[in-house]
Amino acid sequence: MKLWSPFSGGQTRIGRLAPRKSSLAGLTIGVLDNSKPNAGVLLHRVAELLAARTGAAGVRGFSKPSAARPAEILDDIAQSAHVVLTGSAD
Amino acid sequence: MLGTDAFLSLAKATSAKHGLPHMPVALVPHPLGGIPAERARAKADAILDEVLRGLTTDPAPPVAGTSAGPMLVEAPDDLDAFQVWAMEHEWSDGLPVLPPTEARVARLVGRGSADELIATLMPLDGRATLHAIAVNAALAGAAPEHLPVIVAAVRAVATPELNLNAIQCTTHPCTPLVIVNGPIAARLGIAGGPNALGNGHRANAVIGRALRLTLQNVGGARPGREDRATLGHPGKFTYCLAENEAQSPWEPLHVERGFGREESTVTVCGSEPPHNVNDHGSTTAETLMAAVAGTAATTGSNNIYLGGDPLVILGPEHAQTVASSGWSKAEFKRRFWDAARVPLRKFSGDNIARFKLTKPERFEDAGADTLLPFASTPEDVMVIVAGGPGKHSAIVPTFGATHSVTERID
Repeated sequence: MKLWSPFSGGQTRIGRLAPRKSSLAGLTIGVLDNSKPNAGVLLHRVAELLAARTGAAGVRGFSKPSAARPAEILDDIAQSAHVVLTGSAD
Repeated sequence: MLGTDAFLSLAKATSAKHGLPHMPVALVPHPLGGIPAERARAKADAILDEVLRGLTTDPAPPVAGTSAGPMLVEAPDDLDAFQVWAMEHEWSDGLPVLPPTEARVARLVGRGSADELIATLMPLDGRATLHAIAVNAALAGAAPEHLPVIVAAVRAVATPELNLNAIQCTTHPCTPLVIVNGPIAARLGIAGGPNALGNGHRANAVIGRALRLTLQNVGGARPGREDRATLGHPGKFTYCLAENEAQSPWEPLHVERGFGREESTVTVCGSEPPHNVNDHGSTTAETLMAAVAGTAATTGSNNIYLGGDPLVILGPEHAQTVASSGWSKAEFKRRFWDAARVPLRKFSGDNIARFKLTKPERFEDAGADTLLPFASTPEDVMVIVAGGPGKHSAIVPTFGATHSVTERID
């Protein structure tokens, strides 16, 4: 039998990622903690190890107050860091 | 982006929803939460190369997908074979579904405009057109007269206050509860009396189920993938009741929220299952409150630390007991808010440390004897009257980072 599919056209737009950097030397690594338990611990540890390995200028931390809400400080982060690490979910 | 391997599907869905399915994701073994910080920190070494690659190498852009839109597909004629097919194609919630044939969907849409966009549903920004909602209503077994309630509920869940993306994707066991007020409840047979949240009522069953299937199929919250519920709850099959306005001593919910008594509305909230309040002994509002508040004030509740607007469903006999003590609904809310509190010392030290970190404005100065209320303000406590004869009520906690939304049914 012929049936209507229950799915509906969703998001199919493909955006462009910011161009990757050739090296992190001298750059600021941003960390956006999504406020899930230990997310900040892992993100900051990765950023510190990366900075030590690549000669990045430093690490700058940001956090959003709740994992259940979108971050409202993205523009601020974009102004303050060259690359950003963040976490998804738990 | 960093995540744990157990949650990769959600990370991918989130980046794809933003048009960036090629966003590099580095994974550590789950879990990350609930382990000592040292162990979390130790997971960094293994992903360092991958993270560096993600920051310094442009990934290949993906091929753009095509928008599905309304699509007719071929499915087995045999109804039992169709159930197997529907599960394989992820159309179903697990219970038998009815085939959304062209004729059945056309009957549901009726004279409505099939292309009308009712809402965009998270997490995938799915387009909930009248047609798409009708297809899911057809799967759920709904009849044309149920559709206006389902459409109003879809519109309500997409309102930003509900925070649908979080409700759909959280590990917490929540799903939109649909509360129907006004004359449409009696007209459609939406139960608010005996066993209102249980089985035996077609309208309750198909309205709640149609909403849930729409959230799964159009919103894209597929169980175990984007829908990350640790356990979920049975209300994720269907979760709908009417307020028992006839037996309420107070104004009904929709009147409280500014609608006319003769208007019909749906109210949706991101709700846990009902937690029962058994009290066969109390004869006054004051004494009954011990059981009602005691059921609410528990350490495992999201509302205790996130706020939100949890629901108290008073059975008609309990509501009568409260009213006969001279309490208005507002007075009940105030007394409940005063009584339903958990002292901070009942939480583990690990949790208190986390509360102070994530909600410093609420917990920084809190001591062991600080009493945490079940809702941020008395007005945030929702109260309806529902159910049949008997001495039971229910507490329905919510996800917390969510607020209920009331919409008129057109």
